[in-house]
Amino acid sequence: MTKILLVEDNEMNRDMLSRRLARNGFEIVMAVNGQEGLDLASSESPDLILLDMSLPVLDGWEAARRLKADVGTAKIPVIALTAHAMVQDKEKALAAGCDDFDTKPVELPRLLEKINALLRNGG
Amino acid sequence: MTDDKAKEAASASREAALLRATLEHMSQGVAMYDADHKLVTWNELFRQYLEMPDEFLGTDRTFSDYIRYIGARGEFGEDADVEEALQKRLAMLDRSHSFERVRPDGTVLEVRRDPVPGGGFIAIYTDITERKKAETALREAKEAAESASKVKSSFLANMSHELRTPLNAIIGYSEILLEDATDRGDKASVGDLEKIQAAGKHLLGLINDILDLSKIEAGRMDVYLEHVFLTRLVDEVKTIVEPMVKKNGNRLVVACPPDIGSLHTDLTKLKQSIINLLSNAAKFTKEGTVTLRLSREMRDGAPWVKFEVADSGIGMTEEQMARLFQAFTQADSSTTRNFGGTGLGLTITKHFCAMLGGSIDVKSAPGQGSTFTIALPDHAPKAAAQDDAAEIDHAAAVPAPPAGAINVLVVDDDPAVHDVLAATLGKEGYRISHAKDGLEALAIMRKDPPDIVTLDVMMPKLDGWSVLGVMKSEAQLAHIPVIMLTIVDHRNLGFSLGASEYMTKPIDRNRLIALIEKFAASKRDGTVLVIDDDADVRAMVKSTIESVGMRTAEVANGQAALDWLIAHPQPALVLLDLMMPKMDGFEFLERVRQNPQFVDLPIVVLTAKDLTDNERSFLAERTLLVLSKSAQPISKLGFALAAIAGRNRNMKGAVMADEETQ
Repeated sequence: MTKILLVEDNEMNRDMLSRRLARNGFEIVMAVNGQEGLDLASSESPDLILLDMSLPVLDGWEAARRLKADVGTAKIPVIALTAHAMVQDKEKALAAGCDDFDTKPVELPRLLEKINALLRNGG
Repeated sequence: MTDDKAKEAASASREAALLRATLEHMSQGVAMYDADHKLVTWNELFRQYLEMPDEFLGTDRTFSDYIRYIGARGEFGEDADVEEALQKRLAMLDRSHSFERVRPDGTVLEVRRDPVPGGGFIAIYTDITERKKAETALREAKEAAESASKVKSSFLANMSHELRTPLNAIIGYSEILLEDATDRGDKASVGDLEKIQAAGKHLLGLINDILDLSKIEAGRMDVYLEHVFLTRLVDEVKTIVEPMVKKNGNRLVVACPPDIGSLHTDLTKLKQSIINLLSNAAKFTKEGTVTLRLSREMRDGAPWVKFEVADSGIGMTEEQMARLFQAFTQADSSTTRNFGGTGLGLTITKHFCAMLGGSIDVKSAPGQGSTFTIALPDHAPKAAAQDDAAEIDHAAAVPAPPAGAINVLVVDDDPAVHDVLAATLGKEGYRISHAKDGLEALAIMRKDPPDIVTLDVMMPKLDGWSVLGVMKSEAQLAHIPVIMLTIVDHRNLGFSLGASEYMTKPIDRNRLIALIEKFAASKRDGTVLVIDDDADVRAMVKSTIESVGMRTAEVANGQAALDWLIAHPQPALVLLDLMMPKMDGFEFLERVRQNPQFVDLPIVVLTAKDLTDNERSFLAERTLLVLSKSAQPISKLGFALAAIAGRNRNMKGAVMADEETQ
């Protein structure tokens, strides 16, 4: 089963997204801040990471940079999630090494398309 | 005393009286000092303003005495150096000067001193306390207003975020419940949940409008320019607005020439603007028609695109139209009650159009429907967009490509490459579509498969190699010839991944055109030779291929295929199974390629076999493409095969695709 690491500090967003992804046949691992996200990315070896950008402890941009700098996790595709539909945020996320980008509120079909595109590409 | 003298005295006294009257009626304090700096003339206001003691008036006391006196009284401040203040004043007396002085009681005097001919000077004191107070109040009001506006903008931005968080939960959880209820077949709940969700999304839209407007007003709305493929945009818009239009029993008519081309503009803002107009049209029209029409026109020698949104709805009066684009105003205050909305949509749209270098106009009459027209230049101005990317000047306008023109998809993150290729290939009659990164390229290809792709290697999001890999793994895209354009020469990697051609930058335009012409060779009908031992598979393939207007010939093994090939004209394509009795696919390939007549014969392998590395490289050398029977339904292969057959007649060399998708 494809394993997705969801890094999101907002409990409701985490709950909604994880349930909906699970419905679509993904195994979900969850982290509530950037540091935990990094730790789980190493220990759980997910197939893909959904990374919120405004996170406590270690923000998403920094987490993305570290994920991509680490040989062990660099190959895992990362989709940045942010609440602000701002172009700068998108550019910032891509500059930090994220493979793709989506805005919240999440539109599931659109997100699934991005997830599948990256998984296809990576696999 | 003579009469003359008496007259003179009378006249002098009259003048003195006049002067006195004049001085006393002035609203300023006035004092005149003679060449010895003695006070000779003054008025009452002067005495009052300066609390001048009587012993200084009309006596031998001088200006210096007076300055020392008021200095000692503390007029210049408690610790002021009075001698220094005096010297400063004396040094300035030979020229006109003025300054403001705040007296200990808080009144503010403007002091002006002018030298007079023959020595001495005149000093004029104006009480500007009130004016100063008004100025201060005004400045404070302005600062307060500015800070309030900043506070408002940041409040709105923050508040919008705060409002969105719970709304996300409402929309998200209603979606989850909706999915559950749908699974259970609980129709009553589905209806209610859809209402919650629709209301949530509507509210979210309103909040977004308010946020947009506050960003525009705060000057923080950025423009992001990219190549916008218009037919694709129209398709997306259509999907979004169709349900809205149908709600009032309206019909949506879309008129978009397929060769409308692309714009270099802000996709999000353009899309939002068109959706705004269409949803307005849908809102104010019942059982009528809402039309979206795109057309091209030239303005001052530059290409523009016009987006017309026409409805057969209630229309507007002149007066209503005049108020149309103002924030927080709908054509009629009852409009909000009757039709909903924030009334911000048109204001935002107008701002967006201006940011993109274009305009919006409206034509309407009561009962006659309304037509809104957005006109945008092909290239949005860079100044407004703060786009640093280098751009090539479009000196020569490119003519519109003919209908049915070969479609070349340019995939590059560098706008300059798009512009160069659009100009070069456009002149040759090709239709150009644009993608700025790999993901966009794949999306465009899946929606509207191009005939040829030029592909940059180094791009954000998904690089050229990855795009090539994905293309070769999808039946619908695998056949499209790809010309890699890159500054890095990894020719062999390119070919091994399935690239058809390889060019290094800077682009040699003539060579590129030659390559593209090679791949654009006419799409002729032809025969596909199907080599498979399974009659069911042959039948399925046959019906698929014939459904796209091609003929098939069938044989059951490699030997029969060799015999057929020698006896017939060369087919457009050979579709080859690997595992067959008598002569299998591998042996067939080995033999057929030995015959010089069949060196270039396009062969596509269709197999269910798991391939070893050796087998893969064997096939890579001898076939165009390997398709897995399990990776996609055969019924979906028709157009791809037809396209391969049509287009790869002239291709040299064998290309293999990695089709191992899970």
